[in-house]
Amino acid sequence: MKYKTILFIVLVSFLTGQVEPAKELHRNPPRVWALTNAIIHSSPTITINDGTVIIRNGMITNVGSKIKIPNQATILDMNGKHIYAGFIESWLDVQTATIDTSLQAYWNSNMRAYLNATDIFQPKDKMMKNLRALGFTTAHIVPKGGIFQGASGLVQLGDKPKVLSNNVAQVIEYVSGGWQGKEYPSSLLGTISFIRQGFIDASWYEKSLEILEKYPDGNEPIQMDRSLSSLALAKKNKQPFIFRTNNELYIDRSNNISEEFDINLWIKGNGYEYRRIDEMPASFMIVPVNFPGKPEVADPYNSLQYSIEQLKHWDMAPDNAKKLAKAGFEFSLTSDGLKNRQDFKNNLSRTIDRGLDESKALAALTTIPAKKFGQAKRLGQVETGFIANLVIVDGNYFESKSKINAVWIDGEKFEVSPDPIINAQGKWILIEGNNSWELTISSNGGSLKTDSKSIKLANYNLDQDRIRFSIETDTLIQSGVTRFQGIIKNKSVSGRVTYADGTNGLWSAKFDSIIKEKVKKLKKDKASDLSLVFPEGAYGLDSPVPSPNTILVNDATIWTSGPNGILKEWDILFQNGKVKKIAKNISLPRGKALIIEGKGKHITPGLIDAHSHMAGESINEGFQNVSAEVRMRDVIDPNDVALYRALAGGLTTINLLHGSANPIGGQNVIMKLRWGNFSDKLIFNKAPQGIKFALGENVKRKRSYGRYPETRMGVEQVIRDAFTAARDYKKSWETYNKDVKLQRSSLPPRRDLELDALVEIMEGTRLVHSHSYRQDEILMLTRIAEDFGFTIATFQHVLEGYKVAERLAEHGAGASTFSDWWAYKYEVVDAIGYNGTLMANAGVNVSFNSDSDELARRMNLEAAKAVKYGGLEESEALKFVTINPAKQLKIDKYVGSLEEGKDADFVIWSGHPLSSYSICEQTWLDGKQYFSLEQDKFLRGRDSKIRNDLIQKILLSPDLGGKKMKANGRSGNRFESCDAFDSYTYEGEEK
Amino acid sequence: MKNLLLGLFFSSFIFANEQIPAPTQKQPILLKNGLIHTVSNGIIKGAILFENGKIMRIAENISPSIDTKVIDLKGKHVYPGLIAAVSGIGLVEINAVPVTNDHSERGDFNPNVRANVAYNPDSKIIPTTRSNGVLVANVIPGSGLVSGQSSIMMMDGWTWEDATLIHPSGLHINWPNMGIRTNGRFQMSSKRQIERRKTALYSLDKMIEEGRAYSKLRQTKTRKAEEYHNEDLRFESLMEYVNGKLPIYIHANEVRQIEAAVSWSKRYNLKIIIVGGRDAWRTTTLLKTNNIPVIYENVTSLPSRRFEDYDQAYKSPALLYEAGVQFCIASSGSAGGAYSVRNLPNHAAMAAAYGLPKEIALRSVTLSAAEIIGIDKQVGSLDPGKDATLFISNGDPLDIRTNILQAYIQGRKVDMNDKHKILYHKYQEKYRQLGILKE
Repeated sequence: MKYKTILFIVLVSFLTGQVEPAKELHRNPPRVWALTNAIIHSSPTITINDGTVIIRNGMITNVGSKIKIPNQATILDMNGKHIYAGFIESWLDVQTATIDTSLQAYWNSNMRAYLNATDIFQPKDKMMKNLRALGFTTAHIVPKGGIFQGASGLVQLGDKPKVLSNNVAQVIEYVSGGWQGKEYPSSLLGTISFIRQGFIDASWYEKSLEILEKYPDGNEPIQMDRSLSSLALAKKNKQPFIFRTNNELYIDRSNNISEEFDINLWIKGNGYEYRRIDEMPASFMIVPVNFPGKPEVADPYNSLQYSIEQLKHWDMAPDNAKKLAKAGFEFSLTSDGLKNRQDFKNNLSRTIDRGLDESKALAALTTIPAKKFGQAKRLGQVETGFIANLVIVDGNYFESKSKINAVWIDGEKFEVSPDPIINAQGKWILIEGNNSWELTISSNGGSLKTDSKSIKLANYNLDQDRIRFSIETDTLIQSGVTRFQGIIKNKSVSGRVTYADGTNGLWSAKFDSIIKEKVKKLKKDKASDLSLVFPEGAYGLDSPVPSPNTILVNDATIWTSGPNGILKEWDILFQNGKVKKIAKNISLPRGKALIIEGKGKHITPGLIDAHSHMAGESINEGFQNVSAEVRMRDVIDPNDVALYRALAGGLTTINLLHGSANPIGGQNVIMKLRWGNFSDKLIFNKAPQGIKFALGENVKRKRSYGRYPETRMGVEQVIRDAFTAARDYKKSWETYNKDVKLQRSSLPPRRDLELDALVEIMEGTRLVHSHSYRQDEILMLTRIAEDFGFTIATFQHVLEGYKVAERLAEHGAGASTFSDWWAYKYEVVDAIGYNGTLMANAGVNVSFNSDSDELARRMNLEAAKAVKYGGLEESEALKFVTINPAKQLKIDKYVGSLEEGKDADFVIWSGHPLSSYSICEQTWLDGKQYFSLEQDKFLRGRDSKIRNDLIQKILLSPDLGGKKMKANGRSGNRFESCDAFDSYTYEGEEK
Repeated sequence: MKNLLLGLFFSSFIFANEQIPAPTQKQPILLKNGLIHTVSNGIIKGAILFENGKIMRIAENISPSIDTKVIDLKGKHVYPGLIAAVSGIGLVEINAVPVTNDHSERGDFNPNVRANVAYNPDSKIIPTTRSNGVLVANVIPGSGLVSGQSSIMMMDGWTWEDATLIHPSGLHINWPNMGIRTNGRFQMSSKRQIERRKTALYSLDKMIEEGRAYSKLRQTKTRKAEEYHNEDLRFESLMEYVNGKLPIYIHANEVRQIEAAVSWSKRYNLKIIIVGGRDAWRTTTLLKTNNIPVIYENVTSLPSRRFEDYDQAYKSPALLYEAGVQFCIASSGSAGGAYSVRNLPNHAAMAAAYGLPKEIALRSVTLSAAEIIGIDKQVGSLDPGKDATLFISNGDPLDIRTNILQAYIQGRKVDMNDKHKILYHKYQEKYRQLGILKE
């Protein structure tokens, strides 16, 4: 049986060799070899000492320790060598071109699913050589460019790369054009929607083609599309989809997409997986070993530019693979992402030093990628019947000092770093004329010793068996430089010496003895002894926030924001995360509750901000004038320290909104500031869905790429048009869904994420929050909404709301305004601080919002401005940041006031909550304490120690290369605001 | 009497649309039965008398002369006018509309431009600002490396000349960035950034050295025609600064900028004031030993580094105070900050909530500010002989909920109406017409 397989393979390779006609003469080099006396790592867990590998015609025909060597085979003695299966480079980028001139192209050039990496791979000799030098014999080549990037392939890294598979997986990357982009999408928000719509389009395309095939008559042909066709096929075949990711958040996002569309998810990792390892999906990951370079902390002030999160990553990144292995992830390793690919082997050794099993590492280079890439029977092991891809190392590959001598690919040898044919190292006795000196040759040079002194050799060189060096001296021989050259043979050297005056003589040397060189011991890398906090960096939590069952606050002034108004010296009891009871006196058996002495303190509901951009990694998808398809929930950044700072100001709930770049923006997400939790756990699940609209200057501003509209007249038409289209869309689905015959024989309507959201608005299940300033546009939007049968939930900013308060009240819209901003742009020239009070007095539900990470920290003081401007009663003013925004967001059943049965979201203030002199002492959410002055003090102490220890460690560490860390790269402040003075953020996004 | 006071207060804007600059004080005014917050000398329960624009007396009881206008405060408060130590007010109307911005002149080197000549006394922002008690502002230009000269303006007057209290008050320099910016949209290579910094620092040195050489040329008395040196507006404007007579305001936030600026001032023996001062708390010893005052602009800033304390910006004034650094609190002097100077008192209160003693907080927006910008002989506290630039409030002006009832600038009774009040009353009227509002 075995014999037959071998014969079959041999036959096949023979035949494939015949495809191309001989160019000059037929080439038939010898192809049968026996590699003997080696330590063979035939698989990650099996090692054969004193083993032999037989190679015939590119295949391994036998492996073992005492096997018969065929007569035909030429024996290569591998004494002392380690033989591994050829390594598989799991990621090698192939850049694709942007222009697809095919008539079968998708409407957007970011869709390139039709591409095959194997069609565009242009191997460069140098690159191939570099990969082989690391032990790679096969590479997974991956198209790069656009969002749907095409199909990856697998190739052998020989001189003429042989394709083993031309369709391993479909590849997806989160790329966008940014503010200056020339095409949709311009942001991460848009990219995620583009991916989702792409999958939907592929399914629709597939279904439409089926119908067209069955019923060609009566159905209008659709545009052929190569990419949608490839996507549909890949999905149907359960082929993997690999998402390139930048950090742990992107992995989570990819997982969400894969669950939504039921696709086979693979992850191209990033080195940050360890951060939220418990949240990572159990998908196959291709992980880089690109550890960050040493932060520049020698200058104490410069070190201030690094966040703790960055310093910790420097320390912990090399533990990533170990942690993934320990948690049971299936992963392969890649040299991709390294600043210098040559660092791969060293970095891998560091990972091993830090505790990754060698067998796991080897598997990640051989058997795992072989299996995942569909080559488990051909690649990844030194086993009979496998392709003869081998790595020959002069020691253990995973020790940093070992060297790769050669790799074999398809049974052909490629030299990498062969052993020298002669080892000249040792002590020699050199004879020149009558002189006899001691010559010492070491690994990096040598010296000549006379009775009195030692002279260092200059220009030492050993080329195969030819040795040369020179000495400069004024006393020996002649004054000047004397040059020696010679040939080493059988432990002796003989050659010619050229004296300083140009005359020649003879010299010889005899080997005397071996010298023991002191090997510079590389310090073994040690695993980081730091533990993770959530989120990583300053103020991250060591462990989940404790959840006391019962909490009693005694004798406090309770601002209920409910029908009970302000209760002086009352008690409030919280149980199971809810308000249980509010009464003059509540007594509990001792030890049954956590008791907080509230005397002198004021308690308010957790504050709510109906307009925020904190913890949003991307804010605007502004390329098109309607982007209802994009969702803020897709881009939550739970690591944003703004969350913690806002908690420290008593804020507990925010409305994370899309920016104001287009008339119809993206879908918002309501979040509770559950600091430390991962993205999905921040979402306020019971809150209804919503969407951001925007009117006025921001949306009509002229764009470099020319976007409609540029007037308020056009804005009105864009919105009206969008809802008209949505109405037609809804109708087409209703018709289709009702009619079975139609469903069988007609093309289905194309599901459109943008129109879906608009239909939800018309159906009343998606709330509209519209950025607005001037009274005309406010009035206009209420009229459109009424024409299409829905109500605007809130007008945001609404700085001229006071001019049309009766219209707002009549329409039933809430007003979420700035307390006192004005004069920063022309459309707010009539904005007044009295806006809130005026609207409230005219019967509008009013809230004050921040639209700013900074202001969000002191919303209680914003509320105080309603007292100042217009004399609103204090308890009513506080409602501007508690129950009123809760009502606007339709979450007032759960939050916004302290009433029995509502969420235990509350703040303990040192004094009157509207006084500038009071500070927030504790913030509770769902009955858990997420902020307290005491805990904050602890975190400060902990973090300053971590910071200091790390800087010391960095200062004492050698420079091991790696990409320089961008100071403050991931944790700088964002400038989140629709209309802050600087309306462009660092991302170039407009709020 | 209370009603009379409120009546006076309200009548001004019920009948007026535009605010009218006040005439000079014609008769002595006595505010009695109030709490007089002198700032310099504690709180006096009693009366304050001012005449011809100057404070005459503060005492428990003052008997008025026959021609004195007497106002019974019934326990209300009198404070010195708040001082914006830096502000773009009057130079910027709508920051997003470039044609309304006179705050940022073109080019890097504009020591000669003067703020007050572009100050628009009819800016709508001015009345809304004085409505919150800010009666004096140091109006500053703000672009390039050397931005120009600031002027101290009173928040009332028919023309910029009327409104000018002092000109010039100082020269403004935006200190070059001393670190390497790598985050965000800032795409310049580090090499280029270092080059740019070197160029900027060199040009500052050169400015002083050439400024001194120029000043020597100009000040040398000579009759020889060939020794006459032609005038240069830029260098001419620099003479008082390069010779250390007038202060140079160095806008610097990051610690390396602050330290570099201090060492530059020592090297050339210049008089400097640090403006911004976000990191000033990190280098208090240096600031104190060298007697460098700080105008702290950042109470309501986010911490500049992720690991900094959440309340770092709030508590920095307390840290400066405890370390003995001379400081005052300002709101942003940027073009974009012009409209929000009216929230200056809240900045001081915020600092007080996070550790600054309350009376120091008040001082930090009155007398301390006056001392640093060099007008403490005239304003900043309620002392006989100083300008009667003060206001009556219904409470602590640092608390947001407090309202300013009446202000006087050099004894002139300021029109307390402003655009916001006018619009407020206009639209109250709309809702009265609609029957939505009853009164």
